[in-house]
Amino acid sequence: MSNWKKMAAKVGLTSAVAALALSAAVGTASADQKKFKIYLSLSYSGNSWQSEAANVVKALAATPPYDKMVELKEVISGADPQAQIAAYESMIADHADGIVSFPISSTALNRVIKKGCDAGVKFFMYDATVTEPCAYNISYITSGFGENSAQALVNELGGKGKIFLSRGVAGNSVDKRHTDGAMAIFKKYPGIQVVAEYYSNWDDRTTQQETAKALAAHPDVDGIWAQAGEYGAIQALMDKGNKLVPMTGENSNGFRLALANPEFQKRGLKGVSAGSPPAQSGYAFKLMMEVLTGKRDLKPQNIEYPLPWVPADQVKPCSGQSFENGCNVFPEGVVPSSFVTEIFNPTLLPELTLKSALDGKPTPGATIQALAADVVVTAPAEPGINCQKCEAPKDLYKLTKIKATVN
Amino acid sequence: MNDLTSKQPLSRSTHGAGSMMDNEKLIAESPDLRTTAKIKRETITAVGVFGLTILLIFLSRFVSPALGGWDQVNTVLVLACFLIVVSFGQGIVILIGGLDLSIPALITLSGVLTASWIGVSGDGSWYLFPLIMVICGGIGAVSGIGIVVLNIPPFIMTMATGIIVASSALGFTGGSPRGGASPLLLGLMKGNVMGIPWIILFILFFCVVGVLIQSRTTFGRRLMAIGSNLNAAVLAGIPTGNYIISAYITSAMSAGFAGFMLVGYANGATLRMGDGYLLSSIAAVVVGGSSILGGRGSFVSTIGGTLLLTTLGLVISALGVPQGWKTVIEGCTILFALLLLREDLISFFSRPKSRK
Repeated sequence: MSNWKKMAAKVGLTSAVAALALSAAVGTASADQKKFKIYLSLSYSGNSWQSEAANVVKALAATPPYDKMVELKEVISGADPQAQIAAYESMIADHADGIVSFPISSTALNRVIKKGCDAGVKFFMYDATVTEPCAYNISYITSGFGENSAQALVNELGGKGKIFLSRGVAGNSVDKRHTDGAMAIFKKYPGIQVVAEYYSNWDDRTTQQETAKALAAHPDVDGIWAQAGEYGAIQALMDKGNKLVPMTGENSNGFRLALANPEFQKRGLKGVSAGSPPAQSGYAFKLMMEVLTGKRDLKPQNIEYPLPWVPADQVKPCSGQSFENGCNVFPEGVVPSSFVTEIFNPTLLPELTLKSALDGKPTPGATIQALAADVVVTAPAEPGINCQKCEAPKDLYKLTKIKATVN
Repeated sequence: MNDLTSKQPLSRSTHGAGSMMDNEKLIAESPDLRTTAKIKRETITAVGVFGLTILLIFLSRFVSPALGGWDQVNTVLVLACFLIVVSFGQGIVILIGGLDLSIPALITLSGVLTASWIGVSGDGSWYLFPLIMVICGGIGAVSGIGIVVLNIPPFIMTMATGIIVASSALGFTGGSPRGGASPLLLGLMKGNVMGIPWIILFILFFCVVGVLIQSRTTFGRRLMAIGSNLNAAVLAGIPTGNYIISAYITSAMSAGFAGFMLVGYANGATLRMGDGYLLSSIAAVVVGGSSILGGRGSFVSTIGGTLLLTTLGLVISALGVPQGWKTVIEGCTILFALLLLREDLISFFSRPKSRK
């Protein structure tokens, strides 16, 4: 359709008029309704998480009635803030109504976002956040992944032992938030000794190699606290021998299946799967559409997405294509082990199935369900993450999902 | 293009053809009495790099008591095996004075195709392994043809093919690569025979074959001749174009094979699996004493370079210092190794005794 329009504009006014007349004749419903011009702006693509998050938005934009109301364009600008600034600039110049985006930096994009807001563009950020106050941040970051998972590990270890920290990308604000939260817990326990700390770039293979290196120096490790890429840590342990240790990590399908595997449990694997859900993008998109269509009155703010939290005994394989009856992992072979399971949310995103996350296709027969009126949960302020000059609450690292069982 | 440029020096040199033949005869007949010939530059570099690696392994005992043993050697060999295979190809391309920037893309392509075409239960489709190798080789051939026929600088040409291949892999997978490793690859990367991992046996075999190809075959020697002096190689009647293209094919196929190994190691493919093997492969080749301008280098020293870099990474990760300092230490150690293996230092050791 967009190409069609461009062509028409090029050919000239007469044919443009003809085209208008034609589209009016074909579909009366779409002719008098203005389509919302929405951009999906990704910084980089190349891992399952990013493509799932993008596919969820594409699937929702193609689900009735949004399929007739939304013109969605995807732009992937790369891992460089400069490129995303340029991408935003051209979207603003193209008079976008809304931009739903994974921002690569929490601060570098602020100026261009402000410019867009002044031009009337709505910015909805998912997962990663920006400190520009005119943008909406929809993120789980403030929900306490670091401290809760750290406490879970401490509980499993009985308050003492040697541990590895498998971190994300060096210098990234998300990695820092998670690690700060975790260290706030670990420091309370003098028996917990961090013997190795390495950056694994949220990638399975890097995690596997970095964990293998750390294991060479510390074969007697008792537990691993990992961010995304955790499946690589299990593989490194298995490469080394039979012993597995308690560990916490994010939401990869491989990790959840391993947690539920009785043989692995016998070899010492215990822990919890929590962390970043790709479903945030879908929630952000639905909120944005409700704001754009005037169904919801929402000022720009920081909105918290609930932290997924699946201990080993709550892992439940799905039988079909959707998350039914509280299942939360797919059987082996249905999806790759690096697939991030947290794509669905029965209350926020009932429109989606596995096909939506894998291929960006809408679910046949599904229509967009309105979000509950009181759905928005305000996120606490965190300086440098979702606000510029603000103070973090005193109980920033309070535990929400688990209680300390050891002293 | 090379044939065209070569015509001029060829016609000029015909004048002195007679005296040149005399010279050659003279050189061939006179016995080489210089003492330098006893210690080759390559030998010194290789001994230096391997020596540093072994020293580092012993010193690592002070970093952590668990290090410094056979277990660490084992880990180093397994972690280094990908880099060894990739560096073999990169080394051959650097030997002819080129550079291959398409390596990460080819690793990813091969990994993605292996995981999705062959998949988890795919021993019945073993014939797809050679097919994927042929695809990788074909992409290498495209790079080589662009460099030889269109005279595009190697790093631009390989960068272009790299971008095209990486983007195709992204398009092919739609962002999330499917599938896993076949039992064959899992066996290669994780299996044991009499307590020794298969992969270590394999990589030893690969090293021997690689060394023989690079230093004992006509192919290897002609590549070195091309790298030292292209015009001279043309004069010597070497079909330089074919050799340059086959160097890029070799590099692409090495990268493709490393892709297989990575799929077996990580039991799956990711679109970023090739990242990190571009600069480290160049570093391994250069730390191994090869000239980045071509014409000099041996695979033995390159193997030493990969082992040194991998050991260094392992020891540094065991140091309890912040990430910034780890990278600083790594950079300094590489610089130290390069200084140690400098030309004048080597020529000091291999200086003819008579000059003293």
